[in-house]
This record gives sequence, structure tokens and C-alpha cells, in this order.
Amino acid sequence: MKTVIIGAGKIGCGLAGQLLHDSGHEVVFVARSQDFTEHLNRVGRYFVRLVGQGGIREMLVDGVRAVAACETEFVAEEIADADLVITSVGFDNLQLIARLIAEGIKRRTAPVNVLAFENSGSAGPSLRSFVAKYLPVDFPLDRHGFAGVLISRAVTQRLGDIAANAPLVFVGDPYSRIIVDSAGLRGPLPHVEGMIVADNYDAWVQKKFCMFSAAHATTAYLGHLKGYKYVHTAIRDPQIRAAVLTVIKEGQQGLAARYGAELAGDESDCREILERIGNAYLCDPISRVGREPCRKLKSEDRLVGTARLAEAAGVEPRGLGLAIAAAMFYTNQKDPSAFELQHQVLIMGGEETLRQFSGLDNTSKSGRLANESLYRLTDGWRRGGVITNLDKMVWA
Amino acid sequence: MKIGMIVPKQPKDKNSLVMPEVIRLLKEYGVDLDVICPEDHLNHICQIRPEHDLYVLKDTTDMGLGLAGILHAAGAAIINPYSASMILRDKIATTGVLKAAQLLVPETYVTSTLLQLAPLLADGPLVVKPYRGRDGQEVHIVHNEAELAQIHACRTPVFAQRYRKPDGPDNKLYVIDGQVFGVLRKWPAATYEEKLGSPLTVTPILRNYALRCSEAFGVKIMGVDVVMSKGEPYIVDVQSFPGFKGVPDAALRLADYIFHAAKEIMDKKNEGARLAQVAAVASNAVLCGAAMIDTFLGSGMPAGLC
Repeated sequence: MKTVIIGAGKIGCGLAGQLLHDSGHEVVFVARSQDFTEHLNRVGRYFVRLVGQGGIREMLVDGVRAVAACETEFVAEEIADADLVITSVGFDNLQLIARLIAEGIKRRTAPVNVLAFENSGSAGPSLRSFVAKYLPVDFPLDRHGFAGVLISRAVTQRLGDIAANAPLVFVGDPYSRIIVDSAGLRGPLPHVEGMIVADNYDAWVQKKFCMFSAAHATTAYLGHLKGYKYVHTAIRDPQIRAAVLTVIKEGQQGLAARYGAELAGDESDCREILERIGNAYLCDPISRVGREPCRKLKSEDRLVGTARLAEAAGVEPRGLGLAIAAAMFYTNQKDPSAFELQHQVLIMGGEETLRQFSGLDNTSKSGRLANESLYRLTDGWRRGGVITNLDKMVWA
Repeated sequence: MKIGMIVPKQPKDKNSLVMPEVIRLLKEYGVDLDVICPEDHLNHICQIRPEHDLYVLKDTTDMGLGLAGILHAAGAAIINPYSASMILRDKIATTGVLKAAQLLVPETYVTSTLLQLAPLLADGPLVVKPYRGRDGQEVHIVHNEAELAQIHACRTPVFAQRYRKPDGPDNKLYVIDGQVFGVLRKWPAATYEEKLGSPLTVTPILRNYALRCSEAFGVKIMGVDVVMSKGEPYIVDVQSFPGFKGVPDAALRLADYIFHAAKEIMDKKNEGARLAQVAAVASNAVLCGAAMIDTFLGSGMPAGLC
């Protein structure tokens, strides 16, 4: 069995490569960087270090090789006889690799499934349409599968030096479950460790978004308000922990109403999320988790989208309202999105900015709660100050 | 990530849970942390060498500073830096730094003889304290010559400042990596509860003062004592790595900063090692090139250089 993984980044190597290797596949990476390609071909292996409550486990991924993405012909040859193709390039970059996949598919005689490890509901259909642009109109693309994949592992670090001969180390948490959208598949998939093929893929995507992603973002934005640098510190702050738990439960109630209690899960899901965010071995900075606040404040995104879902279920999204307001205070000089957000707040004020970015206003319960928290936070705010008491909104 | 926490044998305040909690948190974060108490050991100076990525200097006794000095000389990374910690143990040098940074301090005098202060009392009371004193020990407010005469065994040089009558309780400012926290505290504070004080909202002027102090000394963790007198903020004391009593979530904040500082040091080390390796590869390539040319010309560069 041979799998081509397009994208040799943290998820490509730290999750997809390891799962496929452990499932007995020959793994070939397609890497953007020539230096990385040379490193992998020279060293032929790397480690995945999984860190969590159960301790540290290091796994060797060996026998791997790589092809540079700029070598279109070579990449196409690799795809031509692969049993499975995987992408892990980030949703926004799927268009950039579509031609590579198209060239490979053109040379195939047998159908193949392309799995997009992009944590997105629409990654499969989107990738199919991007690839179609590079193929003749009458090309039988429908023979091939394009399916989105939801991943649970966070891979936060790549240690080591690609100029050296020592293998790199990818550091992540031990969660291995991957959920594949059955609707996009054509034919059976080869066996892959930890893989679940789901008919209700969109519901799983929503679950991750409304529970883990919302909780993660809330931790980052409240942690920023309190002046912390890492999410694992922020989640140990009792006030933030309580607020994050409220957000998870609001999302869970919304999910239960929309998709049923079984998918929404129970207390153990809440505990698992808090535990994952608290994993200090991942060294996950607030600047990474909170980046691009403008995107994260969009109507359908993790905070506002979850608030709307909860509201639709009759839940008062008080915790999400606070999280949305906290996001409005996010600053980071190195993050253009944070700069844009603060620029808009300065010009238009918080309430109007929130309305423009997320569509939230006082006509909805979510909007009223977010604005209420926004006013309370604004009162007493001083440039450079941090919150010392979230419940009473006391600034240092 | 290896961190050495240099702590005093006798914590200044046994009731304070801040440092034990910082240690617990850092261990929970996976840090390989050693608690080092210099007073517990016979220290063989020639054998002391940095064995940690970062040292946290919480012990500013002579023993603690001595160990930090040796580690500093050997190139160890220390929070707060050794030289700044030394200055902050010396009120005379500290006042010099504050004045140079144009921060407001009461008129300050240094003398080797207490009695030389007597003429100054005509202009009002003085605060007399040991120049290497700490924790408010041996601090005297002196109004007249009789009170001056009652001060015994004051170590020299004697440090004296014009007493500025406070408008209210002391403003204790605490800095952790650019963040400023305030506590209102009665002076002198007798009980642990009094030391915890009450929350103080830090005004822009006080924040500016605290951050200028932090910058002037080049330290990220410090305490600044400010007395407001007739509306003017006078800095009357500055401490390296104070106890942070009364600062909400102080342990979490300190652990967060220390973890971050250690990670930055490790990242820099890794980057340094990478650059060194690149340089070595480049240098080797040059040598190989030279060897090839020499071989070609028959000059016989020693084998093995490549």
C-alpha cells in the first residue's frame, strides 16, 4: 500500500504520516520546501512525540521519502500508482495543490480517494471542484473520491533542524481519531489506524467547532485579557476554567438540540477538552490559538456560530457572549487581523465593529449578551492593563 | 527544559504559597526543575557550573547572590539578571539608577556617621535605613536628634531619605514582564492579612513609573514601593523578585513568564546550534574545496582535513 501525503507540515508528518506508517503503508510526502525534501530523503525518518496525561510516547516513522512540490512530473508519477492520497496543506492552500492532484489523476487507471486532512466541512467538495478546473470537461473525475477529514490531534511543534542529519521530532497530543466524510468517498478505503468513516460528517465537524474550537478560542481570548502567554496557564486560572466550561456546555446543549444527545456527548467530553487545552507539553501560545480574530468572530465561526446554535436551542449563551467580547479586545502587533480589528474598534467603536464582523447586534440574545460583556469590559479598560478579576471585571 | 530555582533556606514569609505554587506548576508543565538552596550545601566554587537552561534567582541573600555570581560568570541565564539583582540589593546604587532614569525619589543622603544627619533634621524628619536592608527591617523615622541618638548598631554606610508624609497607605506595584499590578498596603504591615493589602487600580502614571523602573534596571520581575505625598509619587524602595502578596493569580503569572523565558532561551540555543552547524558545514565545504585545489596543485594538504 502506498500513500502520497501532500503537505509535510505538522499535521502531515505529525499525524497523517504516523498513522499511515503504523498502518503499514509506504509513505511519500510532497513537500513545499526543497530543503525539507532533501532532509527527508537524506534522513528517511522522523519521530512523533505524543505528550499527554499518560506521559510521553515517542514513535519512529521510518522508511519515508519525499518529492518537492515544484517537481510536478515526479509528483504526478507518485500519485499515479498511489493507493491513497492525503492533503494537509491548510484549507486556503487547497487551490494551490489542485493542479498537482489533477496531473496525477490523469495518469491513473484505477480510481483513488483523496482525503483532505483540513478540518473543514467543505474540504472534500471544494478540492474536487479545484481539481476539476485542471481537467478536461469530459474527464471522469467522479470515479475518484474527495473527502474531508476531521482530525483531533494537535501538533504544535517541529523540533530539530532540516539542515542536520538528525531526525526531526513532531510534538503533539495523543489523540489519533480521524473522521472521514463518507459522502465524498468512492470505493473502499485502505485500513488506517484510528479512522472512522462517518455518514454524519457535518455533525462531527460542528461538534469539534462548537465544543473544542470554541473552548480553545475562549481560553485564548480570556487568557489574553488576563495577561497570560500560554493556553495551558490560562485554563488553570479558576475563573477562566469556569468560563470555558460554561462555553463548552452551551455548545453541547446547542449540539444536542440540533444533532441529538449522543453526538453532543457528556461530561467526559468536557473533561477531555479541558485536559487537552491544559497540556503544557504542547507549549501552545495564546498568540497562536487567538490569531486571526476577525476570522474567528465571523458569523458562522466557532464563537458566534456556536452562540447562535445555543440560542436556537433556547440556551442563553452567556459564556459565549463573554468570549466574543473578550475576542474584541485581542491585540497582537504581529497579527494583521488583530491590528485590523483594533483599528476598526478605534474608528467605529466595539458594538458597531462586532455588528460588521459577526452580524451580531442587540436584536438577538447572543448579540445583547456579547454587547453587555463588551460594555462591562470597556468600563475600566486601560491600555496595557490586564484583568485581575474576571467575575467582577477588575482591571489591574 | 531544565530550570534551577535558587531559593532562600528560610522564606521571608512562610504563609505565602506563591513560590511553592510556582514550583508545583512548573513541574506540572513538564519542567525538569531543581530547587537549589545555597545555604544547604558546602559549595565548591570551582565545581559550580551551569547545568540548567535557566536559573530563577529568588534568593537575594549573600549566599544566593554569591552562587548567582558564579553562574553568571560561567554564562548562565538568570532571572533576574545577576548584575541587576546586585544593584537592587544596594539602596545607594538603586537610588542612583532611579535618579538617572529621572524617577522621583525623596532627597537621599549617605553617610558613615549617623550624627552627620543631625543638621538635616531642621528641614523635617528623615527615614534612616540600612543600605542593604530588606523587608522594612531597621527602618526608623527620625524627627529629632534624640531619636537619631537612639538608633544603635546601624550598619554603615547609613542611608537616609527625607520623610515624605504619605497621603494614605503605600502603593505596592508589582511588575511581571511588562504587566503592572497594584496593592494598597499599610506600612508597616504586621500581619499576613495586612501584607496582602487591598487591590489598587494602577493609574497610567503609576504604570509608567513601574515600567520605567523595570526598564532602568533591566529586570522583568520586580516590586516598586511608591508613597503618594501631596499627590506626588515618590519611589521609596525597589525589590528584585518580591513576594507578590496580594496580586491575584501571582503564581500562575510567574510560572507562565518563567516557562516562557526558559522556552525562549531554549529556542535561541537551538537556533544558535543550527547556525553553528550551518557555519561548520560551510567551513568544511571551503576546506574541502581548498584540499581539492591543493591536491590538484600537488601541494599535499594533509589528508583528514576533509
